[in-house]
Amino acid sequence: MKIVGITACPTGIAHTYMAQECLEQELKKRGFEYKIETQGSLGAENELDDDDVKDADVVILAVSIVIEGEDRFDGKPILRVPVDRAIKDTANLVDEAVLLTK
Amino acid sequence: MKNFLKDVQKHLLSGVSFMMPVIVAGGVILAISLLGANQTATGLVPQPGIMTYLNQLGKAGMTMMIPVFSAYIAYSVAGRPGLTPGFILGFITNSTVSVGGVDVKAGFLGALVLGLMAGYMAQWIKGWKIAKNPTIRSIMPILIIPIFTVLVLGLFYYFIIATPFSWLMNALTSFMATLNGTNKIAFATFMGVFAEIDFGGPVTKSVSMFTLALINEGVLEPNGIFRVLVSVPPIGIFLGTLIAKNKFTKEERENAKAVGIIGCLGITEGAIPYAVKDPKAVYPATILGGITAALIAAFGNVTCPVPHGGFIVLPVVGNKLWFVAAILIGSLVTALVLKFLKKPVSQEEVSA
Repeated sequence: MKIVGITACPTGIAHTYMAQECLEQELKKRGFEYKIETQGSLGAENELDDDDVKDADVVILAVSIVIEGEDRFDGKPILRVPVDRAIKDTANLVDEAVLLTK
Repeated sequence: MKNFLKDVQKHLLSGVSFMMPVIVAGGVILAISLLGANQTATGLVPQPGIMTYLNQLGKAGMTMMIPVFSAYIAYSVAGRPGLTPGFILGFITNSTVSVGGVDVKAGFLGALVLGLMAGYMAQWIKGWKIAKNPTIRSIMPILIIPIFTVLVLGLFYYFIIATPFSWLMNALTSFMATLNGTNKIAFATFMGVFAEIDFGGPVTKSVSMFTLALINEGVLEPNGIFRVLVSVPPIGIFLGTLIAKNKFTKEERENAKAVGIIGCLGITEGAIPYAVKDPKAVYPATILGGITAALIAAFGNVTCPVPHGGFIVLPVVGNKLWFVAAILIGSLVTALVLKFLKKPVSQEEVSA
């Protein structure tokens, strides 16, 4: 299982990175392959390239604002949630994402 | 309908997100330019030379914030085609224009509404059947969408919404500018309860949007209160871990140091894990601390010209002593309520 995702919050200095951390910890715990891009106030970091996206089984977009490059994921199953959920409800969120791959 | 409102909220937050650095740059430079300015009948006049240049730079930033706001609302709705109408319409709503011989300026509210309309209109035009025609397709984004959206919505602004929005904005501004007595206490209490109820989440951002709108109109007190409040929950929790060691685990106490530091830098989010873990103690504590801080800030007429809070903006706030006192006393109240309400954790967790 490989999961990629993007996190982005309005201010782009705290929630964005907390969400990334929560997701990474949860995905690591389950032994999945993962890569989470952040789109904070510095722009995109840890950017997902074409290979990352090609191999991904499902995409998690934990974003509360408009993001760049969403068309990269055309044709992939996408789970779109507000950024807060990735922090407060990480485990259920990942469960939902896994369900989308079936 | 619920989804639509959720989308709208996302678009507005996107606009705020892009506007934020613009106001920070404008507000800080403007505030610096007013150091040592002369008090005259028409307001503060900066010193000649470099201070005057800084003043102009700062004002340019504050003028740009509204067009950037509406442009990126439209961008969030429609992507690139939203930018042109968003910028132009935002600029016009924030300029004083003569409509039928009366000067009107719809300001922030007008920009918010027109930004959304510009986005949805651009999005709608993108979907026209004629837009799929290969020859027309190429001229859609550079000719048809920009001209059509600006023309239609621009005239719509002049003829339909300019005047009522201008009234609304004026009423709001003069109400906020003349707040005193009971109204002021009620307003401060309201801010204390709600401004940080979700620690930097959507409610906070809505309050922030409202205080930013008032900055644009030159009313700085509501933002002053708000920027005090962003620091109260995190610093309060940090102080709480100091005075009630037996009620926090070792991990919580360690983390609280970082939470306190970023709280001083005006970031509230560090409080979230504590609130999630023990809402029954943390919410009453931060709300009571918030009310205290808001009342002190309101009483001391604390003002803030930039959209950021905590001690980091101290150089540019007005009534600095009150600002510091409001944060410290509010945080202390939060800490004391925490000490009172939190249950002790087991001995192993305290030391482990």
